Amino acid sequence: MQNEEAIIQQLVEKFSLLKDKLHVPRAKRIVSDFLTREEFEQVLPYVREEMGFYRASHVLGTDEGEDLGFIYLLTNDEGIIFALKEKAPKSNPKISSLSGEYPSLEFHERELVSLFGAEVEGLPKGPPYPLPDGWPEGNYPMRKEWNQEYFDPHTMTYNPPAETQKKEAEKSD
Amino acid sequence: MTEYNRVVIPIGPQHPSLKEPACFTVTLEGEKIVDAVIGIGYNHRGIEKACESRYYTQIIYLLERVCGICSHTHTTAFCQGVEELAGVEIPRRAAFIRVLVAEIERLHSHLLWLGVAAHEIGFDTMFMYTWRDREAVLDILAELGGNRVNYSINTIGGVRRDIDDSLKQDILKMVDALEEQVKYYRELARSETTLAARLAGVGKLSREDALKYGAVGPVIRASGVDFDIRKVDPYAVYGEIPFKVVTDTHADVFGRTVVRVLEMLESIEIIRYCLENMPDGEITAKAPRRIPAGEVISRTEAPRGEDIHYIRSNGTEIPDRVRVRAPSEANWHAMKQMLLGQYLADVPITIAAIDPCFSCTDRAIAVNSGRETELMDWPRLRQYSVDWYKKRGIDVSSVKMPERRSYF
Repeated sequence: MQNEEAIIQQLVEKFSLLKDKLHVPRAKRIVSDFLTREEFEQVLPYVREEMGFYRASHVLGTDEGEDLGFIYLLTNDEGIIFALKEKAPKSNPKISSLSGEYPSLEFHERELVSLFGAEVEGLPKGPPYPLPDGWPEGNYPMRKEWNQEYFDPHTMTYNPPAETQKKEAEKSD
Repeated sequence: MTEYNRVVIPIGPQHPSLKEPACFTVTLEGEKIVDAVIGIGYNHRGIEKACESRYYTQIIYLLERVCGICSHTHTTAFCQGVEELAGVEIPRRAAFIRVLVAEIERLHSHLLWLGVAAHEIGFDTMFMYTWRDREAVLDILAELGGNRVNYSINTIGGVRRDIDDSLKQDILKMVDALEEQVKYYRELARSETTLAARLAGVGKLSREDALKYGAVGPVIRASGVDFDIRKVDPYAVYGEIPFKVVTDTHADVFGRTVVRVLEMLESIEIIRYCLENMPDGEITAKAPRRIPAGEVISRTEAPRGEDIHYIRSNGTEIPDRVRVRAPSEANWHAMKQMLLGQYLADVPITIAAIDPCFSCTDRAIAVNSGRETELMDWPRLRQYSVDWYKKRGIDVSSVKMPERRSYF
């Protein structure tokens, strides 16, 4: 039977880039540090095909300042959750859709698009989720800089004070 | 049949066969479904953003309102996650109470489902039986926490309500009576041919597809997979309680019915075990207001399946990120597979069979009232009701109310 430490050891032997980047905070949990898109895509097929993490419970987004974080919760038959993390800069928030390998991630990936502004390449066409129709473009409410106080649900417009707007514009420049 | 003969029918977001808003756009060839698009999100009200501006203690009550049916499981997942981050070990009595309430909650949730499913197939006698039985369970929850659905048992560090001997006796009486009823439903499932004829072969989901599409709870267990967080990753005191993970191999709505009915019998045994083995002692441990920086993935087995909470602390009194992956959210992906090849008339029961909770899927938001709150016991609540009607010219004070409930 594989256990958490043995899984980590096998992965580190296979991928030196994972050295010191995998942790076991408690039984049934393996957590990685954030990997770049290239690193993530290099590791994932092996984790899925060879290590038995063929089920995906979830992918959640996080705001990491200049970057967006994506935490994939993968599960094997022993019920171990492997939190494999990927990040992408907010200026170019592109990740690949995993809904082909893990169909259970489709709605969650749509959420990354609507709530965080991620660009999920290869995500099948479908209705946006979960924001309502008429939601203003370019508004990603789960990003830390988005403040609900400036959002008017009646007109569906986001109206930050001029100062905030200027700062945001400077940042994106 | 060519594409020209196909008919597209939108079912929802408001539709007589749906209890909550969702839109299922099905493409038909004759009466058979050849494609389905699932549109959800109508209940999204931004709970996760709200969590990022509230204290941990406030969030318990916010997350309790993610779901009006399995409210306890969400607060359990959240509280045990925060306790793990803070290094707080809850008293054993509190852990027993958490499990006890979780299983009572499973009873009322499964009875609710059984009633809805019976109604969807036109078996309204069973609907009325099960909802009558559910009332007894809700009465116990109301006596325990003061409310029928959001009973606010959990807090960070333990639980807020203790079980006294009188309540213990009431719970035992309730489960004794309920056990007889559930056994009757089990017999019904085995011997009532109309039930099997209506449910067997409907909403098929193979074991492979259940795993591939990430199904959880009774849905995956009815496809033959013994995946139950209470066994796979035990929390509270589940690790020491003897119980069986119920599975079935029918892989259809009939199988999901059997699993839920048999799970109720297991829940009754767990409740008895908790009441017999619950140690005396404290029910809360002191927890810090500021939670040490870190992240945690906490999970519980809700009545609908695996409930996952991701919590990240930045070392303050307010979390940096909270994410709730409710079980209904996981089961939607398999829905399309269940619908394909089915008849249009089977859509309502197929959807109902995953026991969907749209609020769980989309997550809700807190209500700011600003009012002071007070705890009312039953006599005070009764008096409040009498006074309320009296002001409107109706005198109900002569209506006799039983001191203790009679079961069935």
